[in-house]
Amino acid sequence: MTDKNSDLVQGTLDMLILKTLALEPMHGYGIAIRIEQVSKGVFQVNPGSLFPAFRRLERSGWIKSEWQATENNRRAKYYILTDAGRRKLKTETREWGRQIAAITRILEA
Amino acid sequence: MALLRQFAHGIRALFWKERVADELEEELHSFIEAAVAQKMRSGMTREEALRAACVEVGSVAAIKDNVHDAGWESIVECVWQDVRYGLRWLRKSPGFTAVAILTLALGVGANTAIFSIVNSVLLRPLPYRDPDRLVRVYFHNSGLGLRDVTFSKPELDDLTNRSGVFEEVSAIGGGSVNLTGAKQPERLEFVLIGFNYFSMLGATPQIGRLYGPQDFALGFSPNIVISDALWRRDFGADPNVLGRTIRFDGDPATIVGVLPPGFRHPGPTVSGDVEVWSAAGFSADPFPKPIRANRRLNAGVIGRLKPGLTLEQAQARLTAMAAEIRKDFPTDYPPQAQWTIEIQPLQEFLVGKVRPMLLVLLAAVILIVFIVSLNIANLLLARASGRQQEMAMRLALGASRGRMIRQMLTESLLLSLLGGLAGIVTAFATLDFILRFAPASIPRLSEVRTDWVVLAFALLISLLTGLVFGLAPALHSAKIELSLAIREGGRSSGYSSKTGRLRDVLIVSELAFAVVLMVGAGLLLRTLRDLLREDPGFNPSQVVAAKVWLPIPDNPNEDPYRGIAPKVTFDRELLRRMMAIPGVELAAITSDLPTTNHILNDPLGSDALAIEDRPVESSQDLRAERIRISPDYFKVMQSPLMRGRAFTEGDEDGKPPVAIIDETTARKYWPASDPLGRRVRFGQDPTLPWMTVVGIVKDIKSDGLDIDGVPHIYVSTYQSPDRATSVVLRTSLPAAAIEPQIRHEIQSIDPGLPVFNVSSMNDVLDRSLASRRFSADLVGGFAGLALLLASIGIYGLLAYMVSQRSREIGLRMALGASRSNVLKLFLQKGVALAGIGIVAGVVFSASTASLMASLLYGVRPHDPTVFLAVPLLLFAVAVVASYLPARRATKVDPMIALREA
Repeated sequence: MTDKNSDLVQGTLDMLILKTLALEPMHGYGIAIRIEQVSKGVFQVNPGSLFPAFRRLERSGWIKSEWQATENNRRAKYYILTDAGRRKLKTETREWGRQIAAITRILEA
Repeated sequence: MALLRQFAHGIRALFWKERVADELEEELHSFIEAAVAQKMRSGMTREEALRAACVEVGSVAAIKDNVHDAGWESIVECVWQDVRYGLRWLRKSPGFTAVAILTLALGVGANTAIFSIVNSVLLRPLPYRDPDRLVRVYFHNSGLGLRDVTFSKPELDDLTNRSGVFEEVSAIGGGSVNLTGAKQPERLEFVLIGFNYFSMLGATPQIGRLYGPQDFALGFSPNIVISDALWRRDFGADPNVLGRTIRFDGDPATIVGVLPPGFRHPGPTVSGDVEVWSAAGFSADPFPKPIRANRRLNAGVIGRLKPGLTLEQAQARLTAMAAEIRKDFPTDYPPQAQWTIEIQPLQEFLVGKVRPMLLVLLAAVILIVFIVSLNIANLLLARASGRQQEMAMRLALGASRGRMIRQMLTESLLLSLLGGLAGIVTAFATLDFILRFAPASIPRLSEVRTDWVVLAFALLISLLTGLVFGLAPALHSAKIELSLAIREGGRSSGYSSKTGRLRDVLIVSELAFAVVLMVGAGLLLRTLRDLLREDPGFNPSQVVAAKVWLPIPDNPNEDPYRGIAPKVTFDRELLRRMMAIPGVELAAITSDLPTTNHILNDPLGSDALAIEDRPVESSQDLRAERIRISPDYFKVMQSPLMRGRAFTEGDEDGKPPVAIIDETTARKYWPASDPLGRRVRFGQDPTLPWMTVVGIVKDIKSDGLDIDGVPHIYVSTYQSPDRATSVVLRTSLPAAAIEPQIRHEIQSIDPGLPVFNVSSMNDVLDRSLASRRFSADLVGGFAGLALLLASIGIYGLLAYMVSQRSREIGLRMALGASRSNVLKLFLQKGVALAGIGIVAGVVFSASTASLMASLLYGVRPHDPTVFLAVPLLLFAVAVVASYLPARRATKVDPMIALREA
């Protein structure tokens, strides 16, 4: 399996995690799968970067975690987007939009 | 908030490491479970799914590592690991560690101790309210070259009422006074002040009250305020002291308040802290009539500037006001005098004089810390070469070069912090010792303490030294050529040329710094030696001196020594009784004991002089110090009379007034003619009688061994007595042995007279050099330390070279090199390094020595003796320090050296 993660622009993984959690609380594997599915397999997130990202986001107060039962009754750590995280996602998204637009302009100029 | 959360999470991860790790483990486990479940749903068997999931997740250990690195606590752990490793490494080589920490303790300790003094004396604001607005005010007659002249009451009032720049102004007239009516008669420091002195300084009483408007008096107030020290010493800290009356130069004075222990008068004192404060209105008896021409108030003036005024603005206003006053009162201010007013920050006034000395001390200890750092850098570099193999191994195992630099720096900083800690302990231990030898002329010494500023300074110094001496080996370790080091690793790597050059530079700079310090010490010590050899103009051995002061009560009717006769009677009785003391060969009286005259820097120390048949205009700058003596004074002091005669018992009141001048006066005022028989008088009053010059005496260093060229005129104490009386006795007895008899005899004449400062004339001379001795001894000690460190440095370098190159030496000897060839090889190296370092140091010293000029006397900053002796001494030490290891090199047995290799 190739690690596509290195293709991710630095810092975008955090944004993708926040976006994924904006829908509902999820556990680690769920998040990885969701990112892979939604990106249609372009981004395969490796746990080696996913878990440090969780630690970072939790430290920053953008997500919090809770042990819950999964759909098939196993224990898993669910990550929940906090209010601060929601605000962060909004500004990140706006900033991302600006940058993409700018890059697009440059590439098309 | 965010920071707090970061911190809390980090702390949790640090202290509940296992729980956090378990949680991560479980989370990873559940991640894999979920992956397996997902893959089984898409049709894999459990085994296939498990294998696929494990492949996908990769190394669980690596993930844990990554997660761990995401938090700050990982850095803490990393540093902690380095620290533990560093400590282990320091413990492994106790000799090196001990030397490094010991030298650091000396370096940091000396710095901290000296900085404590500098900080308390020079840097900390004065302990008064708004100290930056306090100034000292001077009146000058600039046109006559007279600074800090006396003033009149209206001039004092101008400062308050007319200038508009002062919030409050107070005169401060220092002096000493006889205290009676407490325990036994005592000589005390007192200061004469204005009524707003305490409110200006923001002082509050410990008990009682300080002066307020209700105390106002035109002359002296009948109330006094005393110091905490006097209160405890003489009154046993009795709270009922308030309202008690003591006699103060015979005058009754009522104690109304006691100051707190920390309060000190902001001015120079004669012999100790001020203990009595006495306020006056300066307008009625015994003060001169308050008119402008009566410019006879002999005091300093301090003031508090209005808020918001800069010193320059205030000075400009005062200069303008002085010009207006000169214009308004032309008769009182002759234009050629150019009377003017100057202000100076009070702190500058108090500590300005000792600043050069303290800064030289600070420079000396900073040089010491440089030398210590360079020395340790050298030792560390040697060890770093020895550790190449270890470093190479770490690099090969994947340590990054940054990580290696960090570890080396951690070790150095660890060392420097340990040294710094030891240094602070050293400073605490030595500060009291240093202060005990500090001359009393350094102001604010009682305020010296080691506060947090000093501790921060010590910490900073140790961290800086750690960086300085740690950087070289750290960078060196990062530059290791991996393949080379591993290949060489099996045996000692030899004295590689790259680190060799760096070490040479370190040694050369160390020597250069040592030269600078030694030159400075040499100059100071030579100054001190010259002063000790200086002919004081008298023979101080076997002379004991004691001081008495005849009080001046405000009420002339209560004055037992009013007029000339009673004082002369007292003097004669005093001398008769002194001569009767067994063991006293001869006794005499003087108003001014040699070398003690200058302490107050009293502008009235010298009096205006008139010389018969000289025009009055030129007499404006004729001045001489007047000293009253009894006939045998020159005999007791064994000062040779050059010409003419000494005073006799017959030179008394009613007989023609006579004077004896010293050689300086003769040279200065009669350069081309014979002064004998000429007539002079003090003061401008034309009704005073002329005094005939009857003798010329050799110059006596009245104002201090380092003060030359002040003219002195001696007059007979029987014709012009003074209240200040010092008795000098020629005797072979020690001062302490006859002190009780001196006191007993004097108090038999007048039981109210305190007898003070009884000491041998040699001690008096010694005390006058206390400040120079202090700085010379300290800097000399530091220079000795620098010499020691520099020789250790050279020795260490060469010894290390010899041990690293023993194989090469063996080879050379096997190939026919003689022992003297080998000896020369190493000796040359050491001598070359020493030579370069010494030359660099001499050049640097020569360019900076003039900064010390104000501390030198009789020695030029580029004194050839010092500039020759220091390099020679250092060179000799360097040769010895190189010879010892070089000789060891010749003892290398070629067989053993080659076989071991």
